[in-house]
Amino acid sequence: MILFQVAIRLLAFVGKELVEIIRRPGALVSLVLGPFLILAVFGYGFRGLGDPLRAIVVVPPESGLPTDLATYQDLAEGLTITAIMASREPAERQLNERQVDAVVVIPSNALGGFIAGKQATIELEINVANPEEQAYAGVLAARLATKVNSAIIAHVIGVGQSLAVKAGDSAAVQIPASVIAEPTRPALVNLSPTTPAVTSYYGPAVLALVLQHLALTLVALSLVRERTSGLIELFRVAPTSALEVVIGKVLGFGIFATVIGTASLALLVLVLRVPLLGDPWLLASVLALLLVASLGLGLVVGLISDSERQAVQLSLLILLASVFFAGFILPLREFSPPVAAIANILPVTHGIELVRDLMLHGWVSAPWHLGALGLMSATLLVVGWLGMRRGMARI
Amino acid sequence: MPSLIRRAAKPATVPVVVEGATMRFNGLTALDDVSLEVNPGTIVGVVGPSGAGKTTLVRLLTGALSPSRGAVRVLGEDPNRFSPRARQKIGYMPQLFTLYPDLTAAENVDFVASLYGLILFRRWRRVREVLELVGLSDARNRRAAHLSGGMQRRLELACALVHDPSMLFLDEPTAGVDPILRERIWTELHRLRDEGRTLLITTQYVTEAEECDAVALIAEGRVIAHSAPDEMRRDAMGGDLVDVEAAGRLDFAALEAIPVVRRIRRLDDRALRFTVDDAATATPLIVEAITGSGAEVRSTSEARPSFDEVFTALVARDRLARDRETASDAPDTGQEAA
Repeated sequence: MILFQVAIRLLAFVGKELVEIIRRPGALVSLVLGPFLILAVFGYGFRGLGDPLRAIVVVPPESGLPTDLATYQDLAEGLTITAIMASREPAERQLNERQVDAVVVIPSNALGGFIAGKQATIELEINVANPEEQAYAGVLAARLATKVNSAIIAHVIGVGQSLAVKAGDSAAVQIPASVIAEPTRPALVNLSPTTPAVTSYYGPAVLALVLQHLALTLVALSLVRERTSGLIELFRVAPTSALEVVIGKVLGFGIFATVIGTASLALLVLVLRVPLLGDPWLLASVLALLLVASLGLGLVVGLISDSERQAVQLSLLILLASVFFAGFILPLREFSPPVAAIANILPVTHGIELVRDLMLHGWVSAPWHLGALGLMSATLLVVGWLGMRRGMARI
Repeated sequence: MPSLIRRAAKPATVPVVVEGATMRFNGLTALDDVSLEVNPGTIVGVVGPSGAGKTTLVRLLTGALSPSRGAVRVLGEDPNRFSPRARQKIGYMPQLFTLYPDLTAAENVDFVASLYGLILFRRWRRVREVLELVGLSDARNRRAAHLSGGMQRRLELACALVHDPSMLFLDEPTAGVDPILRERIWTELHRLRDEGRTLLITTQYVTEAEECDAVALIAEGRVIAHSAPDEMRRDAMGGDLVDVEAAGRLDFAALEAIPVVRRIRRLDDRALRFTVDDAATATPLIVEAITGSGAEVRSTSEARPSFDEVFTALVARDRLARDRETASDAPDTGQEAA
């Protein structure tokens, strides 16, 4: 009979939470569809730093080098040469006015310096504040130097080979000058079973993030509302235990978040074409663990917040921390060990790692994340239950 | 009529026993040495102004608070450790609206019924019954947020009643409710009492004391009077009050000499108010004395001062007593100076 009554109470919480959520469709749409719409737009619209930089090449007349645009365009991979100029001042003016992205300055006496045994410098001037863009320009500059160096070497070897042939050494041309100048060339082979794409890479992370944010926010708001409105007093007088309240909430919001999670996963796989290579049941287990840990975190947030506003602020802070530190945008290995350790406190850190692995690689490369998520779920639920028990206890 | 609130410790059949309960919050005393008992099958009104300590008392009785000093027993148990059995017998209506605004009236009552473990069919029946009882049958599918203030109070009352409790704690059930609805609620509360339930009701409407079987008047955290309403009125006024209108010259000294008369107050040139032990026995004696003195009695009536007056008189008397107590406790500073 007692167990039967416990079941009635749990079902009451489950039903109540679900009805309350359904009665607020606006909040639901913004919580669930919002992040996915942003991801979809981001995925379709993001082009990254792949666009060539608009550049002016400054060729001083005393260099004796050609001044036709085509010659330099062939050498300048990643650059779109818009003009060839004889002096650097007008080119730099355009760079300062941000009409172009880069200015390539050819040394005035490159050939003479080379013959004299001196290294010449090809300057690549840029005007950026974004560190990513600066790094990208650095790569382009290195590539440009390599190309120019190869061209020079190939040219010198070609001249030498011609002289050798004229001198009767026909074997001198057995190896082409271009191969001697560039004996190796890179070939990138990606062993990943999926082709890297923005939507595929960020999609699983968004799924994990949405689930954490949704579960955390809903349970925290529900709990803080009950605490501040005095409903807890009703629970206290009724034959209801703190454990029943906690389990009821976890079940109620768990069922709801499972539905949302399943729909979101279907949206990712079927509409946004994100691959799902791993075992779907293992993925479901990972998402369930993430959900329980997030609900536990939500309970804690709901218990320490004195108002709905504070609960929302805390939820947003956790969301912000998750975006920056959980490996959503920047890989966790790029952070210093203390910060990375703190990031591991967030359930979504493990969730992103596991969901990405399972969806994009088909297996879990670091199973300890599963253990961490399980431990976190158990700990947060116990903390939430103890906090609830304390909240329902007498003053 | 026996006193419905008593101070002495009584057997466990008395549903509510409070003995010398004191409640302090951060150095402030919300309740000061409160003692009272509530007999079964009665309505006890805890009456007092806002901030007097009524809600604190209810929260002590429902186990939300533990007294800093003293003891509280409800249904023979310590509210801090209510057994599930005791909880099943208690209905509680908090002072503020605490239900779920997005749920309908019926869903709210159903949820509370579920908290008490009522099984499905009984729950449906009880939800229907209590909504009918509080006149919310037509609004059963309306969201609680869309109900008027009065309807929300009735909805909370329905929630407090849904599991059929024998002991009800209702914290200001008529606050913010219009007079017509207030009367209806009181009719319902009387009906519940007549069914044998025990009700402890707080109210800041002093006049509602008349509706209760017993009243505990509370001010500044202290119970300054506790008795049946009529006893309280007599206590406040020093006895029954008889108003007499007469024509002709009245002999004040002769009237004061009547043994049952305690005090006489002139209301106007022709009307006097007599404070007597018992109006029924004193009135003929007063009439006889007036007519005996050669004057003519035009009318007599028993005066029933409102509970506002009763409350004011009792509070004033309590303050005076406390001032005297404070003065007698104070050291004789004149002597010290000398």
